[in-house]
Amino acid sequence: MTWKLFSLLLEASLMTIFVSTVSILLGLVMAIILSGLRMSGNRVAYAGAGVFISFFRGVPLLVQLLLIFNLLPVIGITLPSLATAIIGLSLCTAAYQAENLRGGFEGVAPGLIESAEMAGFTKVQSFIWIRTPIALRVTFPALVNEAILILKASSLVSVVGLIELTKMAQNLSASTYQPLPIFASAGLIYLAINLVVAWIGRRAENALPGLPSR
Amino acid sequence: MSFDFAVILAKLPQILSGLGVTILIWIAGTLAAAVLGFVIATLRRFGGRPVDVLLQLPIEVLRGTPFLVQIFLLYFGGPYIGLRLDPWVAGLLGISIYGAAYYAEIFRAGYQSVPPGHVEAAECVGLTRNQIITAILLPEMALLVMPPSINMAVILLKETALLSLITVPEMTMTVQAIGSQQYAFVEALVILALVYWALVELANWLGRLAERNLSKLSA
Amino acid sequence: MSDPAIKVSHVSKQFGDTQVLRDISLEVAPGTVSCLIGPSGSGKSTLLRCMAFLEQATSGNIHIEGEPLGFTDGPGRKRQSPAELRRVRSKIGMVFQQFNLWPHMTALGNVSLALRRVRGMGRAEAEERAMKQLDKVGLKERAHHYPAQLSGGQQQRVAIARALALDPTIMFFDEPTSALDPELTGEVLSVMRELAAEGMTMVVVTHEIGFAASVGNRIAFLDGGRLLFHDTPEVVFAAPREPRLEQFLDTYLDRGAAMLK
Repeated sequence: MTWKLFSLLLEASLMTIFVSTVSILLGLVMAIILSGLRMSGNRVAYAGAGVFISFFRGVPLLVQLLLIFNLLPVIGITLPSLATAIIGLSLCTAAYQAENLRGGFEGVAPGLIESAEMAGFTKVQSFIWIRTPIALRVTFPALVNEAILILKASSLVSVVGLIELTKMAQNLSASTYQPLPIFASAGLIYLAINLVVAWIGRRAENALPGLPSR
Repeated sequence: MSFDFAVILAKLPQILSGLGVTILIWIAGTLAAAVLGFVIATLRRFGGRPVDVLLQLPIEVLRGTPFLVQIFLLYFGGPYIGLRLDPWVAGLLGISIYGAAYYAEIFRAGYQSVPPGHVEAAECVGLTRNQIITAILLPEMALLVMPPSINMAVILLKETALLSLITVPEMTMTVQAIGSQQYAFVEALVILALVYWALVELANWLGRLAERNLSKLSA
Repeated sequence: MSDPAIKVSHVSKQFGDTQVLRDISLEVAPGTVSCLIGPSGSGKSTLLRCMAFLEQATSGNIHIEGEPLGFTDGPGRKRQSPAELRRVRSKIGMVFQQFNLWPHMTALGNVSLALRRVRGMGRAEAEERAMKQLDKVGLKERAHHYPAQLSGGQQQRVAIARALALDPTIMFFDEPTSALDPELTGEVLSVMRELAAEGMTMVVVTHEIGFAASVGNRIAFLDGGRLLFHDTPEVVFAAPREPRLEQFLDTYLDRGAAMLK
């Protein structure tokens, strides 16, 4: 295990970080929309969001990625593997994040929504400016947790041909016949990234204002 | 384009055998993980500070790294230290160790949830440590530990799909193989996804049922 | 004669099998302060919430400055469109028992948010107006504090500023001091006194009999969902006592009647 090999792994970990970050943020936006659909009072929207969440939480990410990767070309959509990876990861994390947000949205005190109503907010405005920020704030620790899960889950996007940390480790392991130090190093890099994310999350949790006091 | 699901469903016996392997590894792996996790949590609870700190390290490592990297390390790296494992042995071992780290944390939270006074009271009436664990601590934490345990079991079910990447002949590998034989890859994956979906929803439903019965028992 | 600021006509409200309000009619003249008093469970908060259409009356109508609120006039009792409801309701500012400040933004954010998002003002203009309102309730220095960093009395004053920032012509107060420690009620009541002195039309659900007696132009006494009295404080408090009112006042006498004498 040389420095050269390790630096290749480090370089590939940038792709891991990039794919994960983009997917988490995209997934968050989708999760908020899913939550809105669930609370819209429209039955079709409610059922649709429910099926989406159930499906993407019910099927292994590996199978989801393989399905998207193989299905898209058949229905005439060809995308680079980076885009496929991001789509797969963000759909999956959207479902999990929507489920995390559910408790946050349910926990918003009705009085806070009534006061928005009395201040003239429409339902949608109240959802955007009152409910969502409060739900996000309350469920922030779950978001950090999900970020760590997605960083680890991003190891699966190698199956759609994207070269990130795990795929790089596989390639190097095959070409150097040193799987032990290489996969161990890859594991350490994941661990280090996750420790940093957890640390930032704790700092942010303490620094963020406005957790309801009551 | 047109999809032909019949060519996949014609291979039902093969699919079912893959499903059997998936369920077998899942249940055996989850049980092993839960037992191992409980043992680790119990050692941490009663083993004193050094044991507690020492055991925290592997738990953090296992929880901080992808399962895929862990099984690659075990399966491809193992032979270099004389650990040559059959795929399904490596898979079962991998699931058990990986799951144990999470179950250890679940049971740790369980132990922490029992008020110290209850243990002291049990000591005062002369119960041994083993009696305290089985008669006081386990029943008291059961209600709290149940939901995350079920949740973890469902996560492990989905993780078994990764074992296809180390050639364990479970459902994902079997159905993918059928798909490429029959030139019906998308159809195979759709059926695969639906089976997992049904399996996970079934597991969730059973879990809710178990939770409800448990909370009735303790109410 | 001009329209009453608020007109409640034959309002009844039922929650399941429980009749909370029974055929209540009353009018509030512009520029006056009406205090709704009564024992807990008498329906006074429900009446106020019906007047703001936060609860839907089972039957009966609410008019704000001559315009229907919640249900359209005429046969069929049809729901107003959301936009129409918002338009009529914009005349009302509401202050809640639990303050209901939005926890994720500062006092200034709470007061300026609706100005920006509902009224479409720019940030600078909205914050300038919000600052003025915070100054009015004596909390300019606390503008950048979050609700969790403010005392209950301060939170309630921010809530009043938030309602006032939208220029309502009518203010509803739903037990504005009931969630406060006794030593903090004074600062909120004095802000309300000032507001009354400026001629704001106010409807106040309160247990503060002293405040009701000294500031109220009209006292409405509810019991068991019925409006038993609706008159000036002098008449209500000095009238030949109806047993229900007497019993109620006895409970609150130590605070209230002492101030009246």
